[in-house]
Amino acid sequence: MNTGSTDTIALNERRRLAVKLRLEGRKLKEVSELVDLSSPTIITAHKQFLKGGWEAVDVKPRGRPSGERSVPEDLLETLSSKAFARPEQNVPWSFSLLADQAKKLGADTSARTIGKYVEQWNLGADNLYKSAKSSDELTDWLTNDYKKITETARKQDSTIFWAGLTTCTLAKTKTTDKQIKKYLYAHTTKGQYLWLAADHNNDAEHFIDFFGRLLNHKPKLTVIWHGHDPMLTPATKDWLNNHVQINFYQHPQTIMNATQKIRTKSTAYATNDQHIDTQAADERQTIKNPMTLTHLQRLEAESIHIMREAVAAAVKPAMLYSLGKDSSVMLHLAQKAFYPAKPPFPLVHVDTGWKFQAMYEFRDKVAKETGLQLIVHKNIAGIDKGVNPFTHGSSIHTDILKTEALKQALDKHGFDITFGGARRDEEKSRAKERILSFRNEQHRWDPKNQRPELWNLYNTSTSPGESIRAFPLSNWTELDIWQYINQENIPVVPLYFAAERPVVLRDGAWIMVDDDRMPMNKGETPIMKQVRFRTLGCYPLTGAVESEATTVQDVIKEMLLSNNSERQGRMIDHDSSASMEKKKQEGYF
Amino acid sequence: MATTKELIKNDIAKYLSQHETKDMLQLITCGSVDDGKSTLIGRLLHESQALTEDQLENAETDSIKHGTQGDSLDFALLVDGLAAEREQGITIDVAYRYFNTDQRKFIIADCPGHEQYTRNMITGASTAEAAIILVDARKGIQTQTRRHTYLASLMGIRNVVLAVNKMDLVSYAEDTFNKIVEEFNEFTQSEQLEIESSTAIPLSALNGDNLTARGTNMPWYHGSTLLSLLETMKVDQEIALNKPFRLPVQWVNRPNLDFRGFAGTVASGTIKTGDQVRVQPSGKTSSIERIVTKDGDLDRAIAGQAITLTLKDEIDISRGDIISTTETPASSANQFESTIVWMNEEPLLPGRQYLLKCGTSTSTATITDIKHEINVDTLEQIAAKTLEINNIGNCNINLDRQIAFDNYEDNRATGSFILVDRVTNETVGAGTLNFALRRSQNIHMQAVDVDKGLRSELKEQKSCVLWFTGLSGSGKSTIANIVEAKLAKEGRHTYLLDGDNVRHGLNKDLGFTDEDRVENIRRIGEVARLMVDSGLIVLTAFISPFRAERQMARALLEEDEFMEVYVETPLAVAEQRDPKGLYKKARSGDLKNFTGIDSPYEQPENPEMLVDTSSNSAEQCAEQIIRTLRERGVI
Repeated sequence: MNTGSTDTIALNERRRLAVKLRLEGRKLKEVSELVDLSSPTIITAHKQFLKGGWEAVDVKPRGRPSGERSVPEDLLETLSSKAFARPEQNVPWSFSLLADQAKKLGADTSARTIGKYVEQWNLGADNLYKSAKSSDELTDWLTNDYKKITETARKQDSTIFWAGLTTCTLAKTKTTDKQIKKYLYAHTTKGQYLWLAADHNNDAEHFIDFFGRLLNHKPKLTVIWHGHDPMLTPATKDWLNNHVQINFYQHPQTIMNATQKIRTKSTAYATNDQHIDTQAADERQTIKNPMTLTHLQRLEAESIHIMREAVAAAVKPAMLYSLGKDSSVMLHLAQKAFYPAKPPFPLVHVDTGWKFQAMYEFRDKVAKETGLQLIVHKNIAGIDKGVNPFTHGSSIHTDILKTEALKQALDKHGFDITFGGARRDEEKSRAKERILSFRNEQHRWDPKNQRPELWNLYNTSTSPGESIRAFPLSNWTELDIWQYINQENIPVVPLYFAAERPVVLRDGAWIMVDDDRMPMNKGETPIMKQVRFRTLGCYPLTGAVESEATTVQDVIKEMLLSNNSERQGRMIDHDSSASMEKKKQEGYF
Repeated sequence: MATTKELIKNDIAKYLSQHETKDMLQLITCGSVDDGKSTLIGRLLHESQALTEDQLENAETDSIKHGTQGDSLDFALLVDGLAAEREQGITIDVAYRYFNTDQRKFIIADCPGHEQYTRNMITGASTAEAAIILVDARKGIQTQTRRHTYLASLMGIRNVVLAVNKMDLVSYAEDTFNKIVEEFNEFTQSEQLEIESSTAIPLSALNGDNLTARGTNMPWYHGSTLLSLLETMKVDQEIALNKPFRLPVQWVNRPNLDFRGFAGTVASGTIKTGDQVRVQPSGKTSSIERIVTKDGDLDRAIAGQAITLTLKDEIDISRGDIISTTETPASSANQFESTIVWMNEEPLLPGRQYLLKCGTSTSTATITDIKHEINVDTLEQIAAKTLEINNIGNCNINLDRQIAFDNYEDNRATGSFILVDRVTNETVGAGTLNFALRRSQNIHMQAVDVDKGLRSELKEQKSCVLWFTGLSGSGKSTIANIVEAKLAKEGRHTYLLDGDNVRHGLNKDLGFTDEDRVENIRRIGEVARLMVDSGLIVLTAFISPFRAERQMARALLEEDEFMEVYVETPLAVAEQRDPKGLYKKARSGDLKNFTGIDSPYEQPENPEMLVDTSSNSAEQCAEQIIRTLRERGVI
């Protein structure tokens, strides 16, 4: 280290020269080039001159002859015991504060030397800022969120501290046994280091003591906390809430929490926090923990969990495949749930014979591509009787060709658990249906007598004759479905997208003339219109909407900007506002 | 919202990419009929634009029919789902509602407030990460507020929001609000409820004050609005990340001989390929080979993901096991202290067997002891012999085998369970595993050299139980007596356990209530099992009226060791015989809980033997039984 002395002399000459040039009024950049010193160095040197004259400009020789300024052995123990206890002053320990103490004890030492001792006593800590900068994972966080934090801090004239909790082993001394100590520390990006390792009864007390003292050190703090989550107890949060001078953020790698500012407000402190409101908007924009699952990921995982539970319990499972967007998503999820195996069940399509042509084409294509068995069931008796939506009306048509046919299909094959794509947001009575819905021998649903469903534990026990309808998409909304289709590129029937189609206006709805079985009323002529469908069913019963949406994203856009619910296009729910509930009780899916 | 709409219009792709990163919070709302809960939810849905025009229109039509809000729209009608509820004006079940903001997707479990619906609230709370507890500002903290708060804390909900509603009816007075908050704090602190954080917000759901926007009516309130609070709360999935890794195995995936994957949802923690794992309860270890998903293998999986793992070593793992990291594995035990919420009309009976589902494991459970019941209104502990519907009790439970688990407070996913009735298949209870009882780790079966097989062989017979069941006076004891005499004559080793005799000794502390009948049969079952173990042919003659108890006795023995003998006699015939005069006493009301009169007899569904005493003599019946025993190779 002493080799630096000649360099130091040369350096000091350059520093003095730089100050002279600045005093002559030379520009900073010019001086920098002339004396080969960086601008900050020149500014510092200039400031030092103004403060303390030429003497102050010189840098002190780096390093020192060994032993020169070290603390005598006998004082060292006193000093270290101080460093492990609370300082008398109401601030945390810093190198300079401890150096002052050493001086009082009669040891001529510097803050720098103290720093080395602190390191030796294992009271140091990693520079969190530096390690964040060298971590690839945190690049995004540093460029976005951290930048915002620093900007806010600058505006508020608040000092940024990186802080954490760590432990050290205290070596055995004459008076004490070897022990493990917890200590809290904080450092600035410029390397100022503070710590507190006193005996506290509990973590919360320790936490509050430390940050309280830190506030005496700097009046406004922005803390980036890389500590233990358990330290964030109601007591500490409460305390933080009461100290709005502290902006408290979590380091993204603590995992426990997004780097949202912690303002979990306690009841005791329900009011007079102006701070939170003005910042609420900013806060909400702050960083999400990269490890937090998105809502679609959580929904996906839940659906897969349900499917696996049901299949584990089923003797003969099946999936009702209605060809709609929900069915498409459900099938996609089933493939994920059992990968690399194929879903261990067949697809069942209850065919009324009145679906859109495009749906039949799509169905056969999917069956071929997935390699799953496709069971198509029709209520032959009903069809033979000539039941159709035109002469019998939607209610009887649905009842015989859909509900009855479904029951027939399930009875014929003896499926004990059948998956359906119903969602709770579709309709009010569905909002109360369980994920596993039990049907008696007549397939009837009893809304008043449903099994409670707790946690993610599903009771799959059935009595003889009972069967289960399982709804893995219960918690999805229409928007979730479309977002997921967009994200995962799931194929859906093209009828969901706008195209020129032949339609007639009936009872206020655009009905597509999909084949020549549809009788025209007097004065009706099909016209070509750019339309699409929000839900798919039997073509004579499904109203189209005029639309320009030709892609998934267009569809989402249209949906978000429109104000009608998806089932509105379906005639079946319209009879009375409780009609779906009645149909479900009768065995409709 | 205007800016969001602009974004949707102009750049849907950007909007979607922003919304793909949204997270999700599940919450529960609790309050009584009159606290304005449905109005609050209706408002939240409406203001976050989750309601559509036709739904509003529907509500308007309904509003005219049932509305209670005069001319203005009754939001409650939007959310009260079932027809019956609309008509009665009360919410009777849990309903789930969904809405989105720019920050989050929310799932609300809307729970009714009446005491009889404790089970519904527990249901909603089990998956909730936060609870909104409504109080009416005019009424302040009510008994049910305490109940809701207690239940939320019991179910491990970390965040509680005290929504002081109807501030408009108390002139938006700050004092009123502060008093309520103070009282609430006193309660949560004095009862030491485990709530991590609670926040109070003064609201008027009807006018929308402090719901999504401040409004001008309460300038003294500076805290956040309800919605902004909900948007910034920590979600449980994040919290689960820092806990030890747990994967309850749902399904063993074997599409071909080369692949053996263990599918499940990561309950907590994270896992990387190469990590050492321990499988509980077997304790076997291996390390992670691959983390398989359809979208490609992962290097790391985190809490909340549904994945499939393959391991380096071929070890035996089945559904119900839990895969943990080796450093911090799940525990395994078969006796627990637990808190049980009873959910069925039929009360919980100690000694009766139920199916217990915890994680993905299913076992048979017996509640060995109800330590006390908890009064959910006063939080007092009271002595109890049974738990009725909606009651909560601390109970010891005993499982038929070891299961892997964590304490509920450490892990909601691996420390919770449901109880299923073995006969009706209904979900009858739900509970939390509080801790394993130490004795379960210390009691081991003593292995002996001379076993049942050897003992039976020496006696030249196959030991078994003939379990006679039937009404009082049906002739159980008479027939059993003759059968034993016949067996003895052949030199067989037998023992007859008779109802009345046992009640004079072993079971003299038991009465005739349902609970005591269960315990009576449990003890007899255990004694019979020991006797079978000693190589005897055991005959028992007890009314044993409940199917579940006979099932319990059957479950103690091997499959072919238990033979149910149904002594069938019509009630009228038995009553006519009335050898001990008991029917007469029961009819006159001197004898309570008498089977067939005021206590039910559940007929066996598939007895091994059925003897009809109304058309056959006791001797004939005994002969029939001996014949069957020969056919079955018992003698």
